[in-house]
This record gives sequence, structure tokens and C-alpha cells, in this order.
Amino acid sequence: MTTVALLGNPNTGKTTLFNELTDKYAYVGNWTGVTVEKKVGQIRHSNTEVIDLPGVYSLSPITKDESVVTNYLLRDSPDLILNVTNASQLKRNLLLSIEVLELGVPVIITLNMIDDLKRSGHYYDLKTLSTELGCPVRTSNARNKEGLPQLKADLVQNQADIKPNSPLQLNYPIMVSQAIRQATKALTTDYQVDAKFARWLAIQYINDNKVVRKYAVAHHLKPLLSQQAYYDAQKFSDQIFETRLSFIEATLATATEQLHSTKHVAITSKIDKVVTNPILGLPIFAGIFFLMFKLSFDWVGTPLSHQLDKLLSGPISTWANQFLTQVGALPMLRSLIVNGLIAGVGGVLTFIPQIFTLFACISILEDSGYMARAALVTDRIMEMIGLNGKAFIPLIIGFGCNVTGIMAARTIEQPKERLITTLISPFMSCSARLPIYSLFVAALFPRNQAVIVLSLYFLGIVVALLMAKFYHVIFRAKEHSVFIVELPQYHIPKLSIVWHGTWDKGKGFIKKAGTIIFAGTVLIWLLSNFNAHGYVTQIDHSFAASLGQILLPIFKPIGITTWQPISALLTGVLAKEVISSSMMVLFHTANQGALIGMIGGSFTALSAYALLVFVLLYIPCFATIGTIKSETGSAKWAAYSVVSSLFISYGLAFLIFQIGSLLT
Amino acid sequence: MGLFINIIIIAAIIGLAGYQIYRAVKRSKQGECAACDYDCEAKKLLNKSKKRAL
Amino acid sequence: MIMNHFMIKKFNGLDDATTQRLHSLGLQVGSDVTAVRFYPFHGPVIIQVDHQKIGIRYRVFQQLTGGDVS
Repeated sequence: MTTVALLGNPNTGKTTLFNELTDKYAYVGNWTGVTVEKKVGQIRHSNTEVIDLPGVYSLSPITKDESVVTNYLLRDSPDLILNVTNASQLKRNLLLSIEVLELGVPVIITLNMIDDLKRSGHYYDLKTLSTELGCPVRTSNARNKEGLPQLKADLVQNQADIKPNSPLQLNYPIMVSQAIRQATKALTTDYQVDAKFARWLAIQYINDNKVVRKYAVAHHLKPLLSQQAYYDAQKFSDQIFETRLSFIEATLATATEQLHSTKHVAITSKIDKVVTNPILGLPIFAGIFFLMFKLSFDWVGTPLSHQLDKLLSGPISTWANQFLTQVGALPMLRSLIVNGLIAGVGGVLTFIPQIFTLFACISILEDSGYMARAALVTDRIMEMIGLNGKAFIPLIIGFGCNVTGIMAARTIEQPKERLITTLISPFMSCSARLPIYSLFVAALFPRNQAVIVLSLYFLGIVVALLMAKFYHVIFRAKEHSVFIVELPQYHIPKLSIVWHGTWDKGKGFIKKAGTIIFAGTVLIWLLSNFNAHGYVTQIDHSFAASLGQILLPIFKPIGITTWQPISALLTGVLAKEVISSSMMVLFHTANQGALIGMIGGSFTALSAYALLVFVLLYIPCFATIGTIKSETGSAKWAAYSVVSSLFISYGLAFLIFQIGSLLT
Repeated sequence: MGLFINIIIIAAIIGLAGYQIYRAVKRSKQGECAACDYDCEAKKLLNKSKKRAL
Repeated sequence: MIMNHFMIKKFNGLDDATTQRLHSLGLQVGSDVTAVRFYPFHGPVIIQVDHQKIGIRYRVFQQLTGGDVS
């Protein structure tokens, strides 16, 4: 088995390349840090295993996900390293390449995204690069499969056929090279370290690589440890950096060829001129989301959803009812299947178009390169509340599902900042809340569906940010995390990537329909058809009704006047989709149209909005509570999250309803 | 269709639902990815590494 | 668009992690930097170096250019 490691800067298209090479789909996004752990795949019909490592700027890591790469190189030794570089930013990409070449493992460098380079009006003479760097240099464009057959052929070799590379030797300043030589010698003679590896270790150690320094401590590498003070005092790391950079500049100067036309760069700057505009940036960010909701609710999602609903409530329900009567099912079973399962689970499933449209929009954003801009545009606000603009990305992921959002917060280095992000994640409006929004906006705000939903999403963000500020003050977090974001070139989103992204996110929703939504629906059916004395025909005498009636006084101040929504909120803790399915069961309607009519009858625009705000912010679903518990390592935080969100949601819904009532 | 079959089907549906709730509660106690229905990349990796460890 | 050219004067005063990351992005003393965009209220600055765009915080930008930027 030949092992090939893919290694390179962030945003060089490693993951896209990995997917193309291995015929295996992995998650792709056009922002820094998509690959948090290493991934393994296999090239089809071959004996070659490919490892996709997270993108790093250098082998000296700053964040946790970056240390994965250095640790990998310290522990394993791949047979071949495919160094993926962004052709149009070769200068800084080669800084990493040099570190890798110094290791002495066979390396192939590929200039990926070669089309971007050509459009920028440059080209490199591959032969010159290859001789200067001492390894084969290829070109590729993973997005349109250019140059891939050649690369595949390079990678599918037997271990024995791979030509060894001698490590790259740069002319470091005399003092530095002397230090390297001495350390290498001591390591090879006294510690039996392989000469190539010893030299690499020495260079990395001198260059203040934190992971290598820890490694040296762990292995008691005295020759390095004893000299640390000297290396640092002499600022050897600066000298190493300067030597490397001037080597690269000299190499690139001899290898550069000029072409014409600078079209693509011009397009990116034109788009950037608008989307990262200082004044318009935030409104555009809002505008993009508005467009997403417009697509999901007004233009594509809802019309499709109506068709599905017509099918479900019309032919399917009627047919099922007739069939069940014919085969002699009891009224109870008929009610369970038709009024419970078909109306509830089926009803939630009719929201598939909205949810998938929204997911497709998010996937397009991810693939196009806008996310990095969003992090930038929002950084000023995030900085004010003491978070990093990059913390915005886990929050946006939380729009899909709060659990994944919380998991994504793992990439945040500062423990306090991570805890804050975890605690505010449930306020982000996840996709499970969409069906209930959809129902209510259709009933009470038919003309402004997208605006209302957008306002809820932004309210979620605002509450999250305010709470973050609050926690920041309480925890006295004083951190200075690094905020440097690279703004990648825009890509025209690729259909296959967008589709995969959408499907990956949407699959979960369909799966939930068969598990927790199903269970919640059966539960609410039971509650609404039974009481202490058994089966009831009048829903007003059921458990659900009496439970709702008891709690009604508490909910009156936020504008809820009937018991049904209260019972639905209770089962909604299972999963937020269950709120919608419960409403369908409780209002005993087999189709959305009738339910929308019922909602329209028992709510005013104001009380409906207050309820939606409550739904947005109240108790996180089971899965989220569990994740908070495991990620923070204590049940206290989970309990705190439940109590605090209940408090906040009630308070805000109360304010909205009461102030709104005064105004109208 | 006999009363018996009716009752069996009702019991089966309710039983399955109960099992799903039980499983959801258990999974949320386990925490981390177990509670999440979304099959994200990180989760696939985690499962794979668990399998390997065994 | 505001187009301002600056020269990086020093990395002093920045924390190690920031310096290291900027180095990795190919920035060094003497690098020619174009400030493509300033955000209001001392928000982030987009700079362009070697055909790549990077967003950094205003404070970092000031340190790099020696603080003589209004």
C-alpha cells in the first residue's frame, strides 16, 4: 500500500482534489479551515491511499486543527507528499513547500487552480521550478479535472518505484547553518535519529515550532533543548524566514513568464468592491439572506410545498382512509394513521422544498467564497462583543443544525470563547424551526413571508450576540485571538458540490422524519386522544387539552389564547419539527390550508409573532442539550442553557406582545 | 380485519415511537455526535476512527 | 475605491501568533501593501499583497505601517 499525503495552504483546493482523486465525496467549502481532521481515501483501482490533511500556512501551528499536520509528519511517514499549491499565490505557498521539501520525503508539487494564474497574466516555467526545488512540478485545476490523469498516474506507483528526493538545502546564514549542522550531528550520533529527519527537526526546532519543541521535550533531545535560549536570543527564526523568502523570490523571478489578459481577477475585485463595501457590506449580508428566504418561501420552496401538500391531504389521505375502512381497521387505528402519521409526519415532510432550497443557498454561499467576506464584514461587531469574526462561521453553520454549530465551535482556540460560542449557538435559528415559521407566516403574513422569517433569523443573531457580550463580561474573558482572514477568489459554484452539500444537510431532516418526528407525532396523538379514562372522541377532554389548559395562564401574557400551541411547544422539545407536526394533529386538520385557516383564526399578527419569537429562543432540542452537556463537560451548563433560554424567550415574547398591544 | 390485528398494529406503532424517544434520550445523554441526525464529515471520521480502535 | 500603498515597516508590538501568520502569508518588512478597504469605526482593513487579499484588524494594520496612517 502506498500512502500519499495531500498537504498545502488553506484554500488551495486540496479537498476538491482529494474528492476527484479518490472518487469519494468529502465536505468542501470555499473558506479557510474546512478540513478539521485528516481524511483518508483510496484511489480507485489502485493500491494508493490518499490522506487529506487540513490546510496550513506553515508547519508551525497556531490553532488546534493546524497541529494535526505537524503531528502527522512527526509520527507517520508517508511514501509521497503531494503538495497542493495555489498557483496564483505561489510565493507564500512555497514557504510551506520548503518546509516539506526539507524533510526529504518524496514530494510532488502541483500548481493547482492553474486557470486563475493564467487569467492573472502570468505563467511559470515548470522545468525551472522543478530544478530549483528539486522535485517534480505539475499543474492542475481540480474544479474542472484539468491535469488530474497525470497526477493520478504519478500517485499510483508502487512504493519501490517512487524516486527519492534529497532534502532541499537552502543557504541559511552561517550562524544558522552551523547551529543546524551541530544539532543534526548530535541527534544522529547520540540519539540514532535518521540524518534527514534530524536536520528537519533541528530546523523546525530552531524556527520555534511549538509542536516540534514539545516533541523534543518529550523525547529528551538535549542537543536541541540546551541551545533553545541561544537560538531564540539570536532571532534565528527571523533569519530562516528571510532566507526562505528570498530563495522563493529569486526562484519565482527566474521562472515567471508573462501572458496577457487579467479578466478573472478583475471580476473578483468588482464583486468585492460591492460585497465588502464598508457601508454596504452589512446590508448586503442581510440582502443575501433575504434573497435566500425569498427563494425558500416565496419563489421556489412554498409553491412546491403547496403541491406536495395538495397531494398528501387530497389523494393520499383519502385513499388511506378508504383503504383502512375497507380492510376493517378500527377508528382508533384509522385516526392514528390518517390524523396522526400522515397529517403530522407527512405534514412536516411537505416542508422539504423550503428546507432544501435554504440548504442549497447556504451551500452556494459556502462554495462561492462569500463566507470569508461575511466573517470580515461582521468582525467589527464581533470584536466589540469580544468574539472573533471567525466565530461567526460556527454560528452560520448553526443555521443548519445547532448541534453541528456547537461541534464546529471546536475549532475556536480560546476555551472561554469556545464556551461562549457553545452557549449562544442554540439561539441561531436552525432548519428544524422552518416548518413552524412557514405555517405561521403563510397564515398571518402572506405578503411578507420572507421579511418576517428574515427578522426572526436576525433576532436570533442579535440575542446570541447580546448574550455573548453578557457572558464575555461575566467570564472576564480577555483574549486576543488572531484575526487574519484570507479572501479567496470567487468561484462559480459547481453544481455537484452544491448538490452534495445540500443533500448532506438535508438527509438529516428526512432521517429525523422517520425517527424523532415520527415519535413526537405518535406521542402527541396519544396525548390528544386519551385521558385518564381511556380513549376520547372529543379532543377537548384529552390529556393534551388539560395540560395545555393548566399552562394557559402562564402563556396568556405572551398572547397565546388556546391550549393547542402550548401542548405543541411541550412536545417540541423532542425536536423542533415536532411543533409543526403536533399543531397539525392537535388542530385535527389533514392539510396545511385548513391549518393555516385555523391559525389565522386563533392568532393575531402580533401574538403569532410573539409565539414565533418564543419558538425561536425557547428550550433547545434534546440533541442540542446533550451536545452542550458533552462539549462543556458538565450537566450544569446544559441545565443552565435550558433555564436561561426559557427565561429569555419568555421575557422577549412578553415584551413584544405587551408593547405591541399598547401600540395597536 | 380482526380486533387482534388492529391492536397489534397500534401497539407496534406506539412501541416504535416509544423506542425512538427512548433512543433519542439515550443518545442525547451520550452527547457529541450521537445526538445529531446530520451525517457530517466530522461525524463520519469519528465513527471510522472508533471502528478502527476496536 | 480607496487605493493606498504602504510599506511594511515593522512587526514589533504584534503578538507572536499574528506575526507568524503574517509571515506565512508572505509578508515581511519592506513588503509593498495596498490597503484596498478600510471599514468605519476602525474596523478591519483589507490589504492586498502579491495578488492576494487579506483581512486584518485595524490595530494590526497600524502596527505594520508604523502608525502614521490616519
